Amino acid sequence: MNFLLLAANQQTPFSYLPVAIQLLVGIGFVVLTIGASQFLGPKRSTADKLINFESGIPSVGNARQPMAIKYFLVAILFVLFDVEVIFFYPYAVNFKELGQEGFWAVIMFVAFFLSGFIYIVKKGALDWED
Amino acid sequence: MKAIIAATVLGVILMFAGLFVKEKKSVASLAVFLLFVLLGVNIWDLVTTAPNETLSFFNNMLRVDRYALWFNTLMTGCTLLYALLVSKEIQRVGSHVAEYFALICFILCGVYMLSTYNNVLILFIGIEILSIPQYILAGSDKRNLKSSEASLKYFLMGAFSTGILLMGITLLYGATGTFNIIQYTFLQSDMLSPMALAGILFLMVAFAFKVSAAPMHMWTPDVYDGAPTPFTAFMATIVKASAFVAFMRLFSVSFGAISSDWMMVLAIITAATLFVGNITAVFQQSVKRMLAYSSIAQAGFMLFAVLAVNATAWQGMMIYAVAYSVATIGMFAVLMKMKDYTYDGFNGLAKKDPMLAAFTTVFLLSLAGIPLTGGFMAKYFVLLAAVEQGKMMWLVIFALFMAAVSAYYYFRVIMAMYFKQGNAELNTEVSATDRFLLAITVLLVIVLGAAPNLILNI
Repeated sequence: MNFLLLAANQQTPFSYLPVAIQLLVGIGFVVLTIGASQFLGPKRSTADKLINFESGIPSVGNARQPMAIKYFLVAILFVLFDVEVIFFYPYAVNFKELGQEGFWAVIMFVAFFLSGFIYIVKKGALDWED
Repeated sequence: MKAIIAATVLGVILMFAGLFVKEKKSVASLAVFLLFVLLGVNIWDLVTTAPNETLSFFNNMLRVDRYALWFNTLMTGCTLLYALLVSKEIQRVGSHVAEYFALICFILCGVYMLSTYNNVLILFIGIEILSIPQYILAGSDKRNLKSSEASLKYFLMGAFSTGILLMGITLLYGATGTFNIIQYTFLQSDMLSPMALAGILFLMVAFAFKVSAAPMHMWTPDVYDGAPTPFTAFMATIVKASAFVAFMRLFSVSFGAISSDWMMVLAIITAATLFVGNITAVFQQSVKRMLAYSSIAQAGFMLFAVLAVNATAWQGMMIYAVAYSVATIGMFAVLMKMKDYTYDGFNGLAKKDPMLAAFTTVFLLSLAGIPLTGGFMAKYFVLLAAVEQGKMMWLVIFALFMAAVSAYYYFRVIMAMYFKQGNAELNTEVSATDRFLLAITVLLVIVLGAAPNLILNI
């Protein structure tokens, strides 16, 4: 293992050798396990085994059905507000150091965010009945 | 940097205008008015900055010089011209007119960031601000399957290329420990690490994608063809030109001193772009698709400015951006008036509407690079830059040959208009205002060709 430490300490492309080995091991593991189960596992394919598993009951219809876009919309809105909150954490930690300027910067950020929120509400993105 | 703030705020105002103003026409007029305001803000920025003065903003994230401000002003002017010419067509695309214009304002914000960035992170944000509204605009004709396909294709490919850009930025950061593009100038040819070289290559590939240079051009024809024509006109002109300025800013300011290391790769990209763009354009049946390939071919010429890395190249880029934008916007404005986008759709236009045919001829002559038009001066300056640099003579000769090929497909439209029998059907009546605006566009093309110094001496 000494040569790996040596490699890591040098500032050359050679110092990426441990990374390359790690990569090979990672890929090798996946290929090996999946390949082994493919070759070693018993294969008895029947029609029953090829259908989708739905808790033991016979499957009904196609799994690919159109979904209301509202779900997607709500998910996206959740992500947006989640990100907004994440931005508050570093601000809260540095609240004092950032002072007035930081305060107004955050106010501006929230104002832009709110205007987006008002926009989507006015556009009716959150109206569930239609 | 007042223009960046103004573009954002005006975009938000337009978004809200869409909620309260239901009349499409008044929204469009408001948008044109706000673009006038934006142009005013740009001019204000320009006149308050002395020549040779360089300002930096946001902890040196943006570095504003006279060239960038002048470029921004000209691009805003082109956008205004575009909005005036096609506002009727934009109203016909769908019901969200205010949003379309708001997105155009946001794109302009990205344009301003791309021409002034001093930090590759701002470059990344600028490219995102530039691209994301385009994905939406490409798919704005929601019921049209081709438009949706264009949007999805553009989004997936664009996201992928942005990933490559970020990878390049990461590698360069690893090699140099900085995001500042000025500090990249300390990269030396004889001690370039493989990491830095790989980073430069990744950045080049990402930029080549954004400016649709071969072999990263595959998305262009489908996206430009599928997107609603008014938005194709915007994507192919102002957006492409500003992506080029960003490309040039990084490769000339940061990597100019080590140009011998990347020049050959870019030269091959340029040759491929010229070849693929021009040769494929010859075989097109639809004028809209031909213009998409022509925009690839024109990108090949603009790449000369990036390749040459000298003062003439900067001038060439400026005039190419403006001349190409004006002529292409004009050409698309005419195309939108036609019912049939194929070459046959133009048959006999000269008999039916001689004025429109004459305008179209001027735009096409400019795109082909015939003297006395802006397109000629643009090609002249970028090729002059390459000749002055002197390492790429084979490429210059190849480009001249390809320019001759390009005349074929541009003149095919002129042939159809003047020498073929037919009844060119118009989509809408060409109003007096349209004629006036087209005449101004034609005038701009000719003035640019006769007196390019008007926009070069700033």
